[in-house]
Amino acid sequence: MTFLEIVEGPLWYLGASVFVIGALWKIVGILLLGRKADLSIPRASASVGAIKAQFLHFVPHGGFTFRTIYHLVAGYMFHIGLFVLLLFAAPHVTFAQNNILSIDWPSLPYWGFVVAAQFAFAGLILLWVRRISDPVMIKISDRDDHVGTWLTFLVMLTGCMALQEANETLRATHMLLVDLWLIYFPFSRLMHAVTFMFSRGYTGAFFGRRGIVP
Amino acid sequence: MRVFSIARLVVMIGFCGFVLWSLSTGPAQAQSSSSVRPPNAAATTAATPTDGTVPGQVTGNRSDADLWRGINHGTVGKVTIPDQKSALMINRYGEDWRLLRMDNLILWGGVLMGISLLGVLGFAIVYGKFKLHGPRTGRVIPRFSQAERWVHWFVACLFILLGLTGLVILFGRFLLKPIFGAEGLGAIANASLQAHNLLGPIFIVALAFMLVIFLKDNVFQKGDFVWALKGGFFSKHHPPSWKYNLGEKSWYWLLAFAGGGLALSGVFLIFPTLLDDVQGMQLSQIAHAVAAVVLIAASIGHIYLGIWGVEGALDSMTLGYVDETWGLEHHRWWAEQEIKKEHVVEGAPDAVLAAKKAESA
Repeated sequence: MTFLEIVEGPLWYLGASVFVIGALWKIVGILLLGRKADLSIPRASASVGAIKAQFLHFVPHGGFTFRTIYHLVAGYMFHIGLFVLLLFAAPHVTFAQNNILSIDWPSLPYWGFVVAAQFAFAGLILLWVRRISDPVMIKISDRDDHVGTWLTFLVMLTGCMALQEANETLRATHMLLVDLWLIYFPFSRLMHAVTFMFSRGYTGAFFGRRGIVP
Repeated sequence: MRVFSIARLVVMIGFCGFVLWSLSTGPAQAQSSSSVRPPNAAATTAATPTDGTVPGQVTGNRSDADLWRGINHGTVGKVTIPDQKSALMINRYGEDWRLLRMDNLILWGGVLMGISLLGVLGFAIVYGKFKLHGPRTGRVIPRFSQAERWVHWFVACLFILLGLTGLVILFGRFLLKPIFGAEGLGAIANASLQAHNLLGPIFIVALAFMLVIFLKDNVFQKGDFVWALKGGFFSKHHPPSWKYNLGEKSWYWLLAFAGGGLALSGVFLIFPTLLDDVQGMQLSQIAHAVAAVVLIAASIGHIYLGIWGVEGALDSMTLGYVDETWGLEHHRWWAEQEIKKEHVVEGAPDAVLAAKKAESA
C-alpha cells in the first residue's frame, strides 16, 4: 500500500469518522446541557428571535461596523474563498464523487480557483496577523487558535501546491494534512464552523423572547 | 625479317593502346555499374567543394556554412507572415541568459546572502543585543497605528512565503537536488512555483498599500545623515534620529524600488503575453531574481534588528507603542516631538486606547 493509498484510504476514513462522531458528540453534549428556565414574561416568540439571529448576525450591528470592519472583511474573504475552494475546486469535486457522493456538479475553471484561493489566503493571513498585532488579541489568543489557523493554512497551501497534480507525494501531503485537520476539528475552536448556529440561536431566543431584535 | 619487325611494332603499339584505353575507361565502366557512387560527371567536374558547393547531386548538397553560422549567431532573416519575430530562427540570448541564470546569478546571489548572514552573525557577536540604558518610565508613546501593524505583518508573512518558495526555485537545483534527487526536486520546485504564482499578486497589492502608509515619515530630511555620521547602528549610544533613522529609511526606499521592480517583473512573468517578447521575459526573470536576492539579503538585517537585536523594537510592531525611554534613546527627535504634542500616555492600556483614538481621528 502506498503512502497516498494510506492517506486516501484508512487514514481518510479514520479522519472523517473522528470528524463526524466528534462533532455530533459535541453538539449533543451542548444540547444536553440545556438552559435555565426563562422566567421572564414572553413578549415575542423566542423561536422567531433565534431564526432572525441566524441571519442578522452575518453583518455587525451598525454601531460596531467601523471597529469590526477589518475582521469582517478578512473573515468573509477567508470563509467565502475557503468554501468555494472546498466545494468547487475540480480535484475536490472528483474526490467527492469517488469517495463521498456519486453525483456530479460543476467545478471551477483554473482562473476561478486562483482567485478564490487568493481571497482565502489573504483573508486567513489577515486574520492571523490581527492575532499577533492587536494588544487585546495577543492576550486572548492561545495555542489552539494558532494551531487551528496554521493547520488550515497548511491544508490550503499544500492543496494549491498540488494543483497541477504533477507528483503523487504532493497530493498525499495535502491529504495527510486534511486527515489531521479532520481529526483536530472536534477538539478545537474549529468547531465554531458548527457551533456558531447554536450560539446565535441561543442569543436570538433570549432577546427574541423579550421582544428585542437580536 | 623487316616484315617481322614491322609486325612486332604494330603489336606493341596496339598493346600499349589497349593498356591506355583500359586505364582511362575501365574504372568508369565499373563505377557506372555501382549505385552508391556519384555519376561520372560529378566525379570528373567537381572533385573539390567550391563556393560552398559539395560534390554530388543529392539533397542538401550545399554546406551553406556562412548561412548556418549566421543563424546560429542570431541573424534575423525575412518573413512574409505578420509575426516578424519568426524571422529569428535561433535566439542566441537564450544561451547567454541561461549562463547568467545558472552561473553568475546563483554564485553571486548566494555570496550576497552569505555575506548578509555572516554580517548579521558578526554584528550580533560583537555588539550583542541593544538593551535600554535607562529604566522604563511606564509612560508609553504610540508608534505604529493598527493599520500600519496589520499591513506590515501581512506583507512580512507574504514576503517570507514568497522568499522561501522563490529560493527553492532559484537555488533548488544546487541545494535540494543532491538531497531529494531530480524527481524530488521537480515536485518541490513545481509546488513552490504554484504557491509563488498564487501568492505573488496578493503581495503586490499589499506592498503598494504598505509603501503608501509608511511614506510620510520615510522622506529623507535634515538630520538623517547626522545619525549615520555619528556611527548609526555601530554607535554604542544611539545617535538621535526622527521617527525612522537613515538605516530604516534606506530599507524603506530599497523596498520601494527593488520591491517595485520585483512586482513589475513578477507581473510580466505571470502574464507573459503582456511582453510578447522572449528577451523581455529573460530580462524580467533576471531582474526578478536580482531584486529578490537583494531584498532577502537586506531583510535578514531588518528581521534580526526588529525581532532580537533591539530590545523593545518588536513591541512597537506588535503592541503599537514603545516605552518613553526607548523612544528617547533610539529616536530622540521623534520622541521629543511626541512628548511636546502630549502623545505620551501612562501605561499600556492607555496607549492602546490612544492608538485607536488616533487611528479613528
